[in-house]
Amino acid sequence: MSHQSGSRPSGGQFCGRTRREFLWQTGGGFTATALAGMFAGDGFLTRQTRAADGATPFVSPLAAKTPPNPAKAKSVIFLFMYGGPSHVDTFDYKPTLYGLDNKTIEIKTFGRGGKRNEGRVVGPKWTFRPYGESGKMVSDLFPNLGTCVDDMAFVHSMYAESPIHGSAMLMMNSGRLISGNPCLGSWVTYGLGTENQNLPGFVVMLDETGGPISGPKNWSSGYMPAVYQGTVIRADDVPIHDLALPPGTDRATRRRLLDRLREKNEEHLAERADNSELAARIASYELAFQMQQHAPEAVDFARETEETKSLYGIDRPETADFGRKCLLARRLVERGVRFVQIYSGGAHNDDNWDAHTDIVANHSKHAGRTDKPIAGLIQDLKRRGLLDETLIVWGGEFGRQPTAEYAEGTGRDHNSYGFTVWLAGGGIKGGTTVGATDELGSAAVEDRCHVRNLHATILNQLGFDPNALSYFYGGLDQKLVGVEGAEPIAKLV
Amino acid sequence: MNHRGLLRVLAVWALLLQGVAIQAAEEPSSASSDAEKAAFFTDRVEPILKNHCLKCHGAEGKVRGGLRVDSREGFLKGGDLGPAVELDEPGESLLLEALRYEGLEMPPAGKLADEEIQTITRWIEMGLPWGGEEGSMPLAESHDSADSIAEVESWPFQPIVRPPVPNVKASDWIRDPIDAFLLAKLEAEGLAPAPEADRRTLIRRLSYDLTGLPPSPDEVAAFVADESNDAYERLVDRLLASPHYGEAWGRHWLDLVGYGETNGYERDSAKPFVWRYRDYVIDAFNHDKPYDRFIHEQLAGDEIAPDSLEAQIATGYYRLGLWDDEPADRPQARYDMLDGIVSNTGHVFLGMTIGCARCHDHKRDPIPQADYYRLLAFFIDMGDQTGLEVHQFGGEEGPKVLSVVEKGRAEPHVLLRGNPYLIGPKVEPGVPSAIDFDDTTFSGESGKRRALAEWLTDRSNPMTARVFANRLWQYHFGRGIVATPNDFGALGEPATHPELLDWLASELMDGDWKIKRMHRMILLSSAYRMSSKASAEGLARDPANQWFWRFPMRRLTAEEVRDSILAASGELNLKAGGPSVRPPIPAEVLAGQSVPGQGWDVSPPDEAARRSVYVHVKRSLLLPILATHDAADTDASCPVRHTTTVPTQALGLLNGSFSNEQAAHFAKRLETECSGDLAEKVRRAIVLTTNREPRPDEVARDLEFARSLQSEHGLSEHEALVQYCLLALNANAFLYLD
Repeated sequence: MSHQSGSRPSGGQFCGRTRREFLWQTGGGFTATALAGMFAGDGFLTRQTRAADGATPFVSPLAAKTPPNPAKAKSVIFLFMYGGPSHVDTFDYKPTLYGLDNKTIEIKTFGRGGKRNEGRVVGPKWTFRPYGESGKMVSDLFPNLGTCVDDMAFVHSMYAESPIHGSAMLMMNSGRLISGNPCLGSWVTYGLGTENQNLPGFVVMLDETGGPISGPKNWSSGYMPAVYQGTVIRADDVPIHDLALPPGTDRATRRRLLDRLREKNEEHLAERADNSELAARIASYELAFQMQQHAPEAVDFARETEETKSLYGIDRPETADFGRKCLLARRLVERGVRFVQIYSGGAHNDDNWDAHTDIVANHSKHAGRTDKPIAGLIQDLKRRGLLDETLIVWGGEFGRQPTAEYAEGTGRDHNSYGFTVWLAGGGIKGGTTVGATDELGSAAVEDRCHVRNLHATILNQLGFDPNALSYFYGGLDQKLVGVEGAEPIAKLV
Repeated sequence: MNHRGLLRVLAVWALLLQGVAIQAAEEPSSASSDAEKAAFFTDRVEPILKNHCLKCHGAEGKVRGGLRVDSREGFLKGGDLGPAVELDEPGESLLLEALRYEGLEMPPAGKLADEEIQTITRWIEMGLPWGGEEGSMPLAESHDSADSIAEVESWPFQPIVRPPVPNVKASDWIRDPIDAFLLAKLEAEGLAPAPEADRRTLIRRLSYDLTGLPPSPDEVAAFVADESNDAYERLVDRLLASPHYGEAWGRHWLDLVGYGETNGYERDSAKPFVWRYRDYVIDAFNHDKPYDRFIHEQLAGDEIAPDSLEAQIATGYYRLGLWDDEPADRPQARYDMLDGIVSNTGHVFLGMTIGCARCHDHKRDPIPQADYYRLLAFFIDMGDQTGLEVHQFGGEEGPKVLSVVEKGRAEPHVLLRGNPYLIGPKVEPGVPSAIDFDDTTFSGESGKRRALAEWLTDRSNPMTARVFANRLWQYHFGRGIVATPNDFGALGEPATHPELLDWLASELMDGDWKIKRMHRMILLSSAYRMSSKASAEGLARDPANQWFWRFPMRRLTAEEVRDSILAASGELNLKAGGPSVRPPIPAEVLAGQSVPGQGWDVSPPDEAARRSVYVHVKRSLLLPILATHDAADTDASCPVRHTTTVPTQALGLLNGSFSNEQAAHFAKRLETECSGDLAEKVRRAIVLTTNREPRPDEVARDLEFARSLQSEHGLSEHEALVQYCLLALNANAFLYLD
């Protein structure tokens, strides 16, 4: 891979950078005609240059690429539990905590309410029971996911750098607390492209209540070109913004317009035949036309059986919305979409997992909406043979404290010292558990995993050395895992 | 490296450095024998190092944080934070702080058991005995050779000396020295410059270049018909005097400084009155403010002209960045904000990646870490302003401005590894040592930013003029003489025409830093007037056009795309200045916000049709047509715009509400302005969108298209014209400049 800084062939470098990085950096974009000749040996640009004949098919900057190492996963479905699910009420079983309910203890916490040295324990509000061959303890919030534990791998020792939503979201999505950096999905599509040019490569589905805090910053490509940013897609008739023809325009009229536009653009190109950017733009209109045809097919569930829809909970009001998104996610990865992110929870307060006042009401609602659909997704991918090549990641921007935020009630404040994520499929060892928090669940203590380790694991499964996948910007070979680098979580892979 | 391997290496060191046992003599007398100490290391310490530390600090080629733990010297020398172990005061050792998770947290995977920490503590107290033969405690050889700071080698960090204008053969092509510099290279490469472009191409090129707007049909006709010798010169002068010049070139500056009108993060709240800074920048270009004065006002307006409203507004430069109102870590957030200022100041004025030295010495350029903190020291006393704080200018009745004031005196220090909790040596304000030929000293008192600004614009500064001259060239010719305009260092691109750049930089300084004079010189050159058409010879010898044998084509920028659509439709509102406007954004896009529509109160239609430079820059919500056409990222300095071509642009321009509404306005405009038949309207649409006359069969075939929509698809003539207008707004001839 030319963008693997660790494996750069000497001939592939251009002044310390790979050719493509140079192109992006100098603003040439993938159609940097002015520079094309410098890099005649680069297959990517050769294709672009050849496209100047006006007949060679459009080569997208998102064209599928082969990763440098053997890949376990081809695509990723990131189920983002926005707001921060409580690990001690979901997957991180803390028997000691029940008996301490309502007792005030010494404990170091850091949340929205600042740093504290003591707090009133809120005992876990659900019973845990063992599931599967692994005997993994899962709370009664997830009776359906419980049946899948032997396909899931839990990381109980996650930690992050901020207990504040805005910056913590950026950390989980882009590896940095500061905005302006490409998100995980951007890195993945930058590195791998995508396999279906009729659909976006990096897709985001939002909760029906709205986007998360900071909105589009969470799927921004930052300093990378906008082609790598996430596209918001909806599980309805017009999945992508501007996909539908404007009112009063039918498909035949549009085809006629495109035909005349193509003629005019080709006449314009004839006198500028060396400019492959013009040819690419002509081709992009045809591709847009094809997207209008194919993208709605991807969201059309007409050919899904009732059994399948039921598996995802689409037949029940509380699970229908998230179920549709999970089913759409399967359909998208089947069609070659590289990175799908689904948000559970949107907007503010109890519209998401941010249970500051009443953990029971909040988590019952959000787990109730997602448990069945996510279990359905795992089962459906598995029976179709897709789970092996699809990496599922579940988690929020942080977890929650074992203690109450307020004098009354069962709400918990944010906790970035320790929380749980789980992964499934994509070559991840099912039935495993990595790391641990202390006996109260207040902080990760064993096999601690930074968010960067999670990111490194995801890149690793996709066939990258996470410490080598880089993009030159601002005088640095930027990496998702940062200048310090990070290792994949060895026990998972 | 496995355990055995480690021992083997240690044994080799032991042989190499036999007899180096001085340290042993200084051991506390209570210590046990050397052999016992060696055994303590081997049995107790080494397993801990091997299991918890070595993987990232010495083995497998990894030396995280610059620290190696595979030798005794590694600990004593330490990493980026300084020595890991203090033999004189073992309790103060950074290593122990890290193991106790005090500030640093090592090992990151989990705190060591208390016994293990006690073992390491004891080991340090014993004087850090190492294993090896016969009780010797070998000092390892230094591993470190590549880490020394790069030498100042050559251009561009050398003083600017005006180079002689070269002699060339084809001297009739030479209109000014710029041509001579370019032609000298072209001749050396066996290339000939492209012929002059035609007048329509030139006026379209110049109008977009200087104003970001297309010329009107009347302006094109007048220029084409103007037979006087100075027609081109007068056109350049007219455009340079246009108030729209400042809007176009001001926007370039806003890209560089990372202009945003909100604070980002969770609330992304609006920065009050930040638009005054935008207007200040536009006015500065329009009034041809000398570049040195422009720098002085932005960096130190409060110090050089405390009574000038304009100078206060200019210091809004410091207030444009991200601001987290609810940071997880306040000291970290404060230094992140200062980092924005230091990094930007390095990029924008000096073309240097000083930001890379925040945590360690620059890996490739001669920028030690201390330089970063010396530069930061200029800004530290005004570093605490919130994203919402405004200052009332001239008393209670005066206008509110987003400016800076100094708040006390902070003591600047190097932060080890950029960590605000690891305070390093104290520093004085200072400028990058590599380009400070006079070893300038700066006081930490008030007025220091003024001193910095004056140093930047001193005749002896090698970077400021070079960097800005390069930007002027870049915005005119599409690519800088240094193609990485924010990075002239070792990781940037080498200059294609260093002599030309130095000549331009000399002209800039000798011309009292006047910018319009520089534009004029560049625009009047033969080089600028070249056609963009390729020659077979040029394509064969220099397909990348790195020697500028032709003028490069380009797509319109994001702002130009939107403004040109509004210009064609007749809806463009050319009102200048004032608070920003918010054109409508489709509900599906607003749905991505956590509170859809928040911070985006839609402006009335006439205001919504103002130029894009006046559209509100909300960091978390960009206008779709601008975002899809590669508008500048708002979170950092944007030195070069990307140009991407993707189907989502086509979807937006074909199906989006903005382009369809404007196509309808465009059709109405044609119906109002053209009394004749559909052919006349089609002809005028072509003129308005491409600034050229239609080819003979072009109108006929366009008409055929419009008529077929009527006859075959049942559209009315008006509806067919709307579709034709939509087509015209999507054509490459509309979106590209020759």
